[in-house]
Amino acid sequence: MSLTPSWNKILCGMALAFASGCSDTDSSFVYSDRTLSLMPEAQDGIKGETPIAGVKALIDERFGDPQNLKAWMKLPVDFGGANTTVAKIAKSAEGTPALTLAGEDGSELPAKAVFVEFLSGACEGEIAEITEWDAETGVAVLSDSLTGKLAEGDLCSIDRAQVLKSGRGLYMRHCSHCHGTSGDGQGPTAEYLNPRPRDYRHGVFKFTSTNDMSKVSRDDLKRILKYGIPGTYMPSFLLLEEGELHAIVEYVRFLSLRGEYERKLVNEVSGDYSITALESRVGQSESRESIVAELKEFLSADLAEAANSIGDDLAEQWGGADTDEARIIPSVPRVEDSVESRRRGRELYLSKTLNCADCHGMDGAGNGPQTIAFEKNPITNDLYNEPGLHDVWDNLNQPRNLHTGIYRGGRRPIDLFCRIHAGIKGSRMPSFKNTPHEDIWHLVNYILSLPYESEPGATGTEAAAPAAAEVAQ
Amino acid sequence: MKKFWALFFIFWPIVALYVCFVAPSRGWWFPSEPMSTLGHQIDGLFYLILFIVTLTFIGTQIAMGYVLWKGATKTPGAKAMFSHGSHKLEIIWTIVPSFILVFISLTQLEVLANIRVISNFPEEARNAPIAEVTARQFEWRIRYPKPGTTLATEPQPGDLYFVNELHVPTNQLVMINLRTQDVQHAFFSPQLRVKQDAVPGLVIPVWFEVEKAGTYDLVCAELCGWGHYKMKARIVAESTREVQQYIADLENAQNEDGVADDTSDDSE
Repeated sequence: MSLTPSWNKILCGMALAFASGCSDTDSSFVYSDRTLSLMPEAQDGIKGETPIAGVKALIDERFGDPQNLKAWMKLPVDFGGANTTVAKIAKSAEGTPALTLAGEDGSELPAKAVFVEFLSGACEGEIAEITEWDAETGVAVLSDSLTGKLAEGDLCSIDRAQVLKSGRGLYMRHCSHCHGTSGDGQGPTAEYLNPRPRDYRHGVFKFTSTNDMSKVSRDDLKRILKYGIPGTYMPSFLLLEEGELHAIVEYVRFLSLRGEYERKLVNEVSGDYSITALESRVGQSESRESIVAELKEFLSADLAEAANSIGDDLAEQWGGADTDEARIIPSVPRVEDSVESRRRGRELYLSKTLNCADCHGMDGAGNGPQTIAFEKNPITNDLYNEPGLHDVWDNLNQPRNLHTGIYRGGRRPIDLFCRIHAGIKGSRMPSFKNTPHEDIWHLVNYILSLPYESEPGATGTEAAAPAAAEVAQ
Repeated sequence: MKKFWALFFIFWPIVALYVCFVAPSRGWWFPSEPMSTLGHQIDGLFYLILFIVTLTFIGTQIAMGYVLWKGATKTPGAKAMFSHGSHKLEIIWTIVPSFILVFISLTQLEVLANIRVISNFPEEARNAPIAEVTARQFEWRIRYPKPGTTLATEPQPGDLYFVNELHVPTNQLVMINLRTQDVQHAFFSPQLRVKQDAVPGLVIPVWFEVEKAGTYDLVCAELCGWGHYKMKARIVAESTREVQQYIADLENAQNEDGVADDTSDDSE
């Protein structure tokens, strides 16, 4: 009998685990530390007769939370769904409504349809299941009759935001334990990983095939998902289906956009209205009331406008990443790998202009002088605690040892070409886009030969590959 | 009521027996027919043991049923027989099982040696491992030798790399070198009946011969960390020609230089 209390505890614990552990209904996006460092009125808005939205409300309005995702149509994300209007209302053989739907502006209807959400008219907000769907005629038989009275011309959306929702489900299952529900790279398993999982909220991804000023493209993200990142904990998700990969990519884009939008919004506010700014302003004998009044003015006029233009900027940047202008296309094909080419590559590697050795070391072992220098944090202007190079996420990010044969962003020549051409975004690897493409290929040939060097710096004295041997003779 | 319970406990062994007899023909024990040559030998062993266990089960259940029924029909007040300390019985139930166990261990030796002992591997497989499979938390990294060369222990220039998908030819002995980059993993393909631990610091050869073209699961069978469940890959078995084509495509993809109209590539 003395066991009873502890048994109770165990049973309660199990019941709790079942109640909380088996669903993601209680997940929510978290605000960044910088948002939380704003003065309370800037975060939460100002209540009153006409309440004014603060930063948090501006974010939630556009992005929602994981259970109730908002599809801000301005963003270049494939949220899923097709907008249609009700063209004809009839009854099916079973007596349930059979609607003829027409694509908006004559656009094509999706091949599959699971549910329809009504966006206007008496049925606004209602969601109905589609039991039979004919993509050619647009006839959708619903499973149940609707509560409201449907009228012709009502707007409705087929499978609205379905891609984003399925992306969320897949993300929660496969990604969130490292990358976090909000994409902040702070999931429960992130603690144990080195390098740390990516924090998407900067909108920066390292390994892209786009030029140095462009965002990551969808293909880049899909490539990373499919093949993983060797040398890190990012595994390959090759076995996911194409549609699943697409949904995850769109959801990651959505999270990145949310994070970047939040960052940029806070940038507008933090200068004058962070907690520290407030303290120093109060210290300079400004009254808190006058600051709040000023903030009120700022929030209602400037910030609302800024929020819109930030959205426009993001839409342009992220939308532009998938265009041909953003893609890196070498102007010359790869220079054939030969001892001469590698030698030229090594010369370039050691040259003053490219100065690769400053970080990667004379022999490419990733031990250049920069790795033992103390670096300044570009934002706070303080020295970092440990020597070496840091990335924009403030993690120690030492230059790669080029002898390991592990290429995080891929081992194809074009992958290395892009790493050199665009740099590695977010890290201290700069872009060498002004270097002639032929020279970049020489460098690529040299770098690809490094793992097989007989001894450090031996390039040019001995042929490592059979192909090179032929050329040398 | 006593008779009911006696019959109740006799009934269930009969159900179990029925399942034992029906299972092999229904394929209830295994995820599929064995798809590799070794798989047939392994399944043979399994069914041999199933047969022995079933016989033993029948014997013990008949004995139990007999005792139950006798106890249920005994007149009240009758005296029980005391059989404790019978040397004859003790010797019988020690020697009979040990004979069975020795029999099993001797019978399985050959199959075990075929799976595990490298000198028993067919020579053609031993001389030319087709790929190196490196387990890693939580994926399978594959390295094929540069076309026309044999696989070396260390990566060589021109080696081809892929992840989570291993292509092997059918109806041909193939050997892979299994290693791990971090902790222990296990290379497990249920349909091929291949299971081999990957141990840090060791290169472990694994051989098999796939009999039928198809896509088979490759999963990790050694709890290797929090992501163990997602450590899945596939083994694609196809004709030798298709494998060669795959390797050629892989080589082209790996030499991709991003120039759309690639004039230097005249391998087609």
